[in-house]
Amino acid sequence: MSKDTQRVKITPLSVKIPQDQLILRMQRELQKAMEKPVAQRRWAMVIDTRKCVGCSSCTVACKAENKLPPGVVYRPVIEEEYGTFPHVARRFLPRPCMHCTNPPCTKVCPVAATYKRDDGIVVIDYDKCIGCRYCIAACPYGARTFDWGEYYTDGTPVREQYELEPSFEYGEKWPRQKNRSPINNTRKCHFCLHRLNAGILPMCVTTCIGRATYFGDSSDTQSLVSELIGSARVMRLKEELGTNPNVYYLV
Amino acid sequence: MKRLYYLLLFILTVVGFWALGVRFSNGMSVTNLTSYFSWGLWVVFYIFFIGLSAGSFLLSTMIYVFKMHALEKVGRLSLMSALFALIAGLSFVLIDLGHPERFWYTLVHRNMSSVLEWEIHFYLLYIVLVVGELWLVMRDDLSALAESAQGFRSKVARWLSLGYRVAKEEEGRRKQKGTSERWVKILGIIGIPLALGVHGGTGSIFAVSIGMPYWNSSIVPIIFIVSALVSGSALVTFLYAFFGQEEREKPEILNSLSSMLVLFIGIDFVLVLAEFLVGLYGAIPADTESLKAVIAGQYGIFFWVGQLGLATVLPILLIARSRKGNSARLKGLAGLSTVLGIIAVRVNLVLPAYVVPKISGLDKAYVDSRLVYHYAPSAIEILSSLGIIALAVLLFSIAWELLPIIKVSEIKQ
Repeated sequence: MSKDTQRVKITPLSVKIPQDQLILRMQRELQKAMEKPVAQRRWAMVIDTRKCVGCSSCTVACKAENKLPPGVVYRPVIEEEYGTFPHVARRFLPRPCMHCTNPPCTKVCPVAATYKRDDGIVVIDYDKCIGCRYCIAACPYGARTFDWGEYYTDGTPVREQYELEPSFEYGEKWPRQKNRSPINNTRKCHFCLHRLNAGILPMCVTTCIGRATYFGDSSDTQSLVSELIGSARVMRLKEELGTNPNVYYLV
Repeated sequence: MKRLYYLLLFILTVVGFWALGVRFSNGMSVTNLTSYFSWGLWVVFYIFFIGLSAGSFLLSTMIYVFKMHALEKVGRLSLMSALFALIAGLSFVLIDLGHPERFWYTLVHRNMSSVLEWEIHFYLLYIVLVVGELWLVMRDDLSALAESAQGFRSKVARWLSLGYRVAKEEEGRRKQKGTSERWVKILGIIGIPLALGVHGGTGSIFAVSIGMPYWNSSIVPIIFIVSALVSGSALVTFLYAFFGQEEREKPEILNSLSSMLVLFIGIDFVLVLAEFLVGLYGAIPADTESLKAVIAGQYGIFFWVGQLGLATVLPILLIARSRKGNSARLKGLAGLSTVLGIIAVRVNLVLPAYVVPKISGLDKAYVDSRLVYHYAPSAIEILSSLGIIALAVLLFSIAWELLPIIKVSEIKQ
């Protein structure tokens, strides 16, 4: 055996797995999708559970992006330990809204405040929502939470400025004032609709350190998400309920 | 005694309204509900009172539609309790809304696929129907009161009679009687599907929820209807036994009422048995966890003491015992015990559904006091509930004093 063949060529991981190209590709595909009429887009998310390291940076980034108060979380990461010692491992399951094709939550709303948009995003009209919390009970994924009007600094001498910052969900300004929407409303993940409209990927996708979350237009057969949805590793949560989620997991 | 009673109700009402004031100014944060445990004490009382109302109303239709003349003495009583229970029930829905000021949106922004949306329409129609029927059955006495009696009672009667007066001559009186009987019957017939819709529909609000395996069963709306009949007939039995006029037919009426109560309790028990046996046999974790919480967990006390003790075994024993000496008191106590037991039934219809996280591990995924799967009502929730109940009882008592509900004979003399 020659010396030459024995030498291992080391390429940096970032070159071997071009992560930056993935995000640029998703970004490009997002802009392409935004050029189409709303009804022709079909947003989907794919989460690679093997790449997820459970850092919860998506949860935190989402909290910051949408100025979420206590009691409200759009994308918790569920941890699970499995196997028996010494063969033990952990896996992580980030859980955004599934944006079901057949959502059980929108059906029950007594005022049609929550509905499915033509592009597949399930949204809540804060100005219409009466806060009955029926949709919270109806969602099989626990993906809806309620804004109790509380602050992280409740019970401390100072209410920090960051808690009073308005949220810009749905492209509107929502100042945080007593008994004013979204306070006393149900809130949920909306795939960062306000960011999509500005041509930017959802916050959880951008911030993911392992590039474990993918986002795109599943009606575009050339898109990255379409490619991944075709994978043999793909699964969805509670398929037996017929909700037909638009969030896919790679296991 | 009477003054003490009114004073107590008044104090409870005032305290309750203070609690409601706190609730309305501070929003839903005054409750101990969480983002995962979304419905609590107020929803429990909401379905309790809607059930009480639907049950009392269905009892009244047996009298006015199916002509159970033996029970005619309690017809107005059951309609009246239907009305006030409904008002209490609707107040509980209202205070449970995050934005109560938007309640009227339900009539403007429609979503035809929402059971809750349909229910609100049902409730409003139902309230109109109950008031209409009540007026028709009372109008002769209201007219008599307005013309004969002096003072406040007559003033109220004059106002409530809406100008209606009993005709002077026999011919006209017969005509009026025919009209009112016909309309009461028509309203009663419309009322049967409506009342079934009111409470079966309330059960369906829960039953259609695929996110909640404990509720998501077609037996749930049926249990709601039957337990409504239980609570309605129990309430009327209690009120009539303790506060009804002493009259010749009273023991007979109480006998029919209590037999009916036992029958409804029996049917209800069979349904609950079916629900539990099938659920436990299936052993699907999401459903069984709730059932276990009811039988042997944190809701066990409501099940064994409330549902089986107060609302099933005790009333049957009391009624069986009362047959000997024909005791009205024991039958009344059976009614009261059942009504209180039904509160426990309502607790167990709503709360145990929330004991299991929707996805295993979700409860530990994000640590926050509002992201947990356990709940015990806050002081404000309890006080405001007591306040609403006290107000409903107070209004009912005042109506009892002023209107010709039970004291009919007194007017005729």
